Amino acid sequence: MISTDLANTISDPRAYADGDKVDAAFAAIRATAPLEKAQPDNYDPFWVVSRHADIMEVERQPEFFHNGDRSTFLSPRESEAMVRALTGEPNLIRSLVSVDGKEHKDLRGIVFPHVTPRALKGMEEQIRVIAREFVDHMLSFDGECDFAMDVAFLYPLRVIMTVLGVPQEDEPFMLRLTQEMFSNADPELNRAQKEVTPEEGLQNLAAVVQDLENYFGEVTKKFRANPTEHVNSLIANGMIDGEYLNHRQMMGYYIIAATAGHDTTSNTTGGAMWALAERPDLLKKMQDDPGSIAGFVEESIRWVVPVKHFMRTATQDTEIGGRKIAKDDWLMLAYQSANRDESVFDRPFDFDPTRAPNKQIAFGYGAHVCLGQHLARMEMRILWEELFPRLKSIELSGKPERTISNFVCGPKHVPIRFSAN
Amino acid sequence: MSQPYRRWRCLNCGFIYDEAEGSPEDGLAPGTRWEDIPEDWYCPTCGTEKIDFEMIEIG
Repeated sequence: MISTDLANTISDPRAYADGDKVDAAFAAIRATAPLEKAQPDNYDPFWVVSRHADIMEVERQPEFFHNGDRSTFLSPRESEAMVRALTGEPNLIRSLVSVDGKEHKDLRGIVFPHVTPRALKGMEEQIRVIAREFVDHMLSFDGECDFAMDVAFLYPLRVIMTVLGVPQEDEPFMLRLTQEMFSNADPELNRAQKEVTPEEGLQNLAAVVQDLENYFGEVTKKFRANPTEHVNSLIANGMIDGEYLNHRQMMGYYIIAATAGHDTTSNTTGGAMWALAERPDLLKKMQDDPGSIAGFVEESIRWVVPVKHFMRTATQDTEIGGRKIAKDDWLMLAYQSANRDESVFDRPFDFDPTRAPNKQIAFGYGAHVCLGQHLARMEMRILWEELFPRLKSIELSGKPERTISNFVCGPKHVPIRFSAN
Repeated sequence: MSQPYRRWRCLNCGFIYDEAEGSPEDGLAPGTRWEDIPEDWYCPTCGTEKIDFEMIEIG
């Protein structure tokens, strides 16, 4: 059993805001108990899958490790019970990350052909225009800005809303609800604007989901009346076995696409700028060799790990990494840990855009690998391709801060000072 | 003597293409050799392209 101290740290949203604290805890777990059970206060016990290879092994076998049999993210015992009372299911939202088997394959298939690298090539110019707009916006700050708040939260939002078919005037609403959902433990960004208990947090979360469902109910009507190639139209008009998606499937799809579709990329973009601003020679390297930007993007994904974990539930007795896993056991796939795994990454705590290959596993692996990964990579590459040639220098102008969260999170403030060419 | 069937794994998501089984849902009949898969084919799980991303022979 992992010590209670370590178990509490890897479940504590504040430890992720600290960064070093959670990395130290996972380093200790990898060294002493790489696949062991943990039981933080107020949680049911779960296996911590801390090694890169073991996570791949779990994700390679989706029939043995389900997403949707219990909460898909680390949830206190009482919160999970409340969700079951509210929805009759273990997850508040029935989305791609909380379903399995045929349902998952069918749902994924509705959008997948439209987000492959080939399909996205047609969007490159459109995204580049958006990137230029946000580069101009940044440079208009006259030498100093909070890159997270002023650029990183806004640019991926515009990109995904364009892909989904959400009008620009609705972007502030979508950003606020996304932050209220994923930053539920952070008093600066959550709905209550204060510290909340897990129960209060869940009530706020349910209210956020209700607001999103009200919004997307109108979206369905709009795109059923006038179908387009936008992703929201694909969801509104998508069919499985000749039937439209049911209410929970449809709402879950809209919500995951609209929220996870930009928050993860925003976090990574902000974290990439943080890494760049701390390394004075990196900007010139990127400017001298624009071909290295793809490596910079990949390393920033490894570095930030915008999704800290997902949970799985064993469907039968099995074995992973030499440990016997029993049916119904709950497992934490600790991507934060796997992306620092010393057996895979040389100098894992160094930010090194030249890693080749970079086996970062932040998008997951196997059947549930991130649907939007190619869009995420592309939009970040384009932003840096547009921004770097226009910068002369960049540095931190204050202390960056991470969001208080143990699930989907990254930097919320990255104060920078820059000079433009 | 004919070559034994081989298997290829997508480095991005781990999807396995087995020449013996093909990928009938993508129009690749059982027995379709890796070399005979069109260059514009992509991984049915993650979209990684045959021409852009290396796939490894694992057996």
